[in-house]
Amino acid sequence: MSAVTVSRTAGRARAGTAGGNASVGKAAQERRQRRAAFWFLLPDSLGLLVFVAVPMVLAVVLGFFRIDGFGSFQFIGVGNYVRMAGDPQFWSSVRITLLYLVGVVPAIFVVGLGLALLVQQKIPFVGAIRSMLFVPYVISLVVVAMVWEFMLGDRTGVLSRVAASLGFENVSFLGEPSLALGTVVVVTVWFQMGYYMVIFLAGLQDIPGEYYEAARIDGAGAWQRFRAITLPLLRPTSFFVIITATVSVITGGLDLVFVLTGGGPAGSTTLLIFYIYEQAFLFGELGYAAAIGSVLVLVMLAWSALMFAVTRGGRFDND
Amino acid sequence: MNGRHLNRRQVSRRDVLRLGVAGAGTLAAAWATAGCTRAVGAPADAMQFWQMYAPAPQQDPNIVAQSQWFLDGIRRWAAAGERPVDMVYIPAYTDPTNTRLATAFASGDGPDIFLISPGDFLRYYNGGVLTDLTPYMSQEAIDDFYPDALATRTVDGRIYGLPMEQEPLAIFYDIPAFEEAGLAEGDLPTTWEEMLELGRRLTGGPRTGLVLDTTPSYYQNFTFYPWVWQGGGDVVDPRAQRPTFDSDAAVQALAMYGDAVGSGAAARTLPAGGDLVGAFTNGYAAMWQTGVWQVEAMRQNAPDHPYGVFRLPAPPGGEPVTALGGWAWVVNSRGRDPESAARFAVEVMGSTSKESVDAAARWNGVAKGNMPARRSVTEAIGNSGAFENPVMQRFRDEILPTGRGEPRYPPVIYKAVSNAIQNVMLAGADALVEAEAAQSAIESYMETYEGGPLV
Amino acid sequence: MTDTLTGTPPRDDAAAPAPPRPVCTRRTDRRWTRSKVALLVLGIVLGLLTIFPLLWMVSGSFKTAAEVNSATLLPSAPTLDNYRYVFTEVPFLRYMLNSFFISATITVLALWFHSMAAYALARLKFRGRDTIFLLIFSTLLVSLPVILIPTFVVVRALGLVDSYAGLIVPAIFNAFGIFLLRQFYVSLPAELEEAALVDGASYWRIYRSVILPLSKPILSALAVFFFLANWNAFVWPLTITSDPDLRVVQLGIATFQQQYVGDWNYVLAAATVAALPTLLIFFFFQRQIVESIKNAGFK
Repeated sequence: MSAVTVSRTAGRARAGTAGGNASVGKAAQERRQRRAAFWFLLPDSLGLLVFVAVPMVLAVVLGFFRIDGFGSFQFIGVGNYVRMAGDPQFWSSVRITLLYLVGVVPAIFVVGLGLALLVQQKIPFVGAIRSMLFVPYVISLVVVAMVWEFMLGDRTGVLSRVAASLGFENVSFLGEPSLALGTVVVVTVWFQMGYYMVIFLAGLQDIPGEYYEAARIDGAGAWQRFRAITLPLLRPTSFFVIITATVSVITGGLDLVFVLTGGGPAGSTTLLIFYIYEQAFLFGELGYAAAIGSVLVLVMLAWSALMFAVTRGGRFDND
Repeated sequence: MNGRHLNRRQVSRRDVLRLGVAGAGTLAAAWATAGCTRAVGAPADAMQFWQMYAPAPQQDPNIVAQSQWFLDGIRRWAAAGERPVDMVYIPAYTDPTNTRLATAFASGDGPDIFLISPGDFLRYYNGGVLTDLTPYMSQEAIDDFYPDALATRTVDGRIYGLPMEQEPLAIFYDIPAFEEAGLAEGDLPTTWEEMLELGRRLTGGPRTGLVLDTTPSYYQNFTFYPWVWQGGGDVVDPRAQRPTFDSDAAVQALAMYGDAVGSGAAARTLPAGGDLVGAFTNGYAAMWQTGVWQVEAMRQNAPDHPYGVFRLPAPPGGEPVTALGGWAWVVNSRGRDPESAARFAVEVMGSTSKESVDAAARWNGVAKGNMPARRSVTEAIGNSGAFENPVMQRFRDEILPTGRGEPRYPPVIYKAVSNAIQNVMLAGADALVEAEAAQSAIESYMETYEGGPLV
Repeated sequence: MTDTLTGTPPRDDAAAPAPPRPVCTRRTDRRWTRSKVALLVLGIVLGLLTIFPLLWMVSGSFKTAAEVNSATLLPSAPTLDNYRYVFTEVPFLRYMLNSFFISATITVLALWFHSMAAYALARLKFRGRDTIFLLIFSTLLVSLPVILIPTFVVVRALGLVDSYAGLIVPAIFNAFGIFLLRQFYVSLPAELEEAALVDGASYWRIYRSVILPLSKPILSALAVFFFLANWNAFVWPLTITSDPDLRVVQLGIATFQQQYVGDWNYVLAAATVAALPTLLIFFFFQRQIVESIKNAGFK
């Protein structure tokens, strides 16, 4: 349907322009652009409105109700927000989410970029190496989590045995509250690094090779070239990676935590999104879960707005 | 000209916004009334029965037999000219993280009949979606159920769920592991102290001596309650409806969990990813607190591996008590036709007719292989089918009689107890402090709690 | 924030390219220099370390039910029974076809809609553009668990429960793709469209014959991501379907887990089978990406 309407408009626009370039004023061109933009934006805007924005508005509304999950809605104003403020488990999950964020995002950035730089080189079998590095991202998270459970199992897992041979007897990667979150961080990075490698690879390909050659002729070393060319020119990609990694870390990680630790041991891996999920689907506290979810979206909005402000819209046009 | 355009665009933008708000409002209204309009369906609509058995997505003979049992039940029902029932298999139905049922009920779209675990019962009852099945049952049939199987599905003497089975907990032990350590059946522990001592002794190399459940979940709480009950304690006193989790019995049970892990007798995570069969056959575990369902798992996946079961050891001066799990049939009071659905559930699961008893005997004795919830069914099975196995007989004769139904505590109480278990067991917290923290959380919750009694 | 952007130290090993060489030999160099060998070894070691955990998945798919949960890597008595079971006793091919159809449809429609929207946001000038972009961007921050139940209500109101449309349509709309494509289009030189515009081409024509061809590399990358994300989707299909004919691969895998007994040997065989199509697609597309980058001529 949209295809037909779009091409019809496009056809009309074309006919109008063909009428005579000289007479086309700035205003007419602006109008043309505006009309084109409307049709170009229509399908996605409509879809996002119906399937994301409307549900999100509903969720925000739900946040002001006490809901039992069986059709009883009781308006309680900011009751859920008051409850949140005094809920130690909510705050604990916020703290854990921040730790998780601080652990995962920089690691993903460094590892993703490092791998991209490596597989960008002209070395034999680079396609196979790239594929190997990307493989984890292909596997379903439940199976990924299960495989790591084998490797991390107390006493029997290969990593536990390696630790034992290094003198760390009876290490429990998933059963020690002090280790479990770190373990989840490592598995997350392992799982996602291939994705960010590809993103960085695309960014690196956009950097003109002549810059490097010029720098080389000027006698710049590898590190200097990286500092002076790669990092600055990679800023749009870096912006994208940091934004998306943050979003995916805050809103994701659910399946992994469910299978690996169930939020334990002793609550040490109860991420905020896990807490929301638990409240909504295990406890039927839909109103409370919606309120927490709304706060989460608000905080991320504020954070992204800050990112946009700092990076001038993520554009880095340098002009 | 520009100004006019601007104006028109602003108006249209506002229109779009208004349209969006109106749309959201309509949706919200549709949602709010969903529960009421739901029953108005075409009368010939089949009722839906959500569960995890039928129609089986696999051809494994055991799974097919369980599926067939359900399909036979709905066929007989439809053949009698009743409103037909559709079996709807829900993947990962027993996974507590499953979103399917919660989403369906939240939007007024719940199934007519579904299976429910004890931990969820009260939430659905308090939500007003469970149908009272008592009017459809004869007193004789009610009396046929074991009191412990019905207790947690009953509110004020009315029955809201029909259990398909009773699943007692015990400790499974790996006979080769015991033999390697020079132990025989006479060395099986009967006290907590002996159990932990043996756990330490059997731990070594890849092997964990004693496995208590470790992941925070309703299931872990279920496995923990009997240790509290053994010392005469409880989370909530069922008669007084007062929290008693700061009692000595609860504190000593928590402390035992802390000791078990702290002393190295028990593991911090489950060996072999939680698979008892794999753990025993590979020599990863010696003793494991788990339920009767493992008998079937061993029979299917390692029929020749020798193992045994024993009753949960008790603390000094304590009673041998265990907990009974198991799923029950419940009927959605806001379904298409709650009356037909209730009659269907009672006819298959809760009638004294020969058909109902035979069907239950086939379920517990053959298809599923677990403890019946009704006396007549136990008698009908005798020592046939799954009960030819001496382990099953031991469960039935020695362990089941010490059982008490899994409590139906609502989420807040579950969570308070779960936090205490986790903190003491895995973070080395003090048992008394944690018990008191849980107690005060439960106290403040119960001050405003309204709903079915907590048993 | 800016510190994180630029101040992250690169990995020394991976970041150090070959030492300076004469410029003229750069493209044709096929010699095995020492640094090239070092990089190759490094790449292979990292690659192997990365796939190491997945060896358990593959080896487990050849193990028996009793052995599958053992921590040893190699099966003591390798068997093909799990694969046979997955293909003969379970309608697994049907699940794969469902997933393939759904994921492919979503991917194609999403790439089309997103590239259109991104083109407008990046290269057309109109009032309110930044506002619309920010609004679209903000939907990125909404995650499924937060809106699962309201979305279900919306989808049910549209009558899409238990249908292919219900599996496909809501999954198309995701701001990630719009965002990434917009970043890409913003970076294209302004002269691109100018010639076409002077020739009187319509915006639709520019989009189709100038922008889309240039987008090939990034669209291939996005295609892989979209396909993958939908191939591995679990929660949404679980929530809105119960018809076994609509069952997707990940739900199919979940049916191997029963209440207490997980048939992990079947799960692993099924997961291995399910991973193959996506792996092949990546392998194929990553060559595409590299090729089209070369051909596009804006390197």
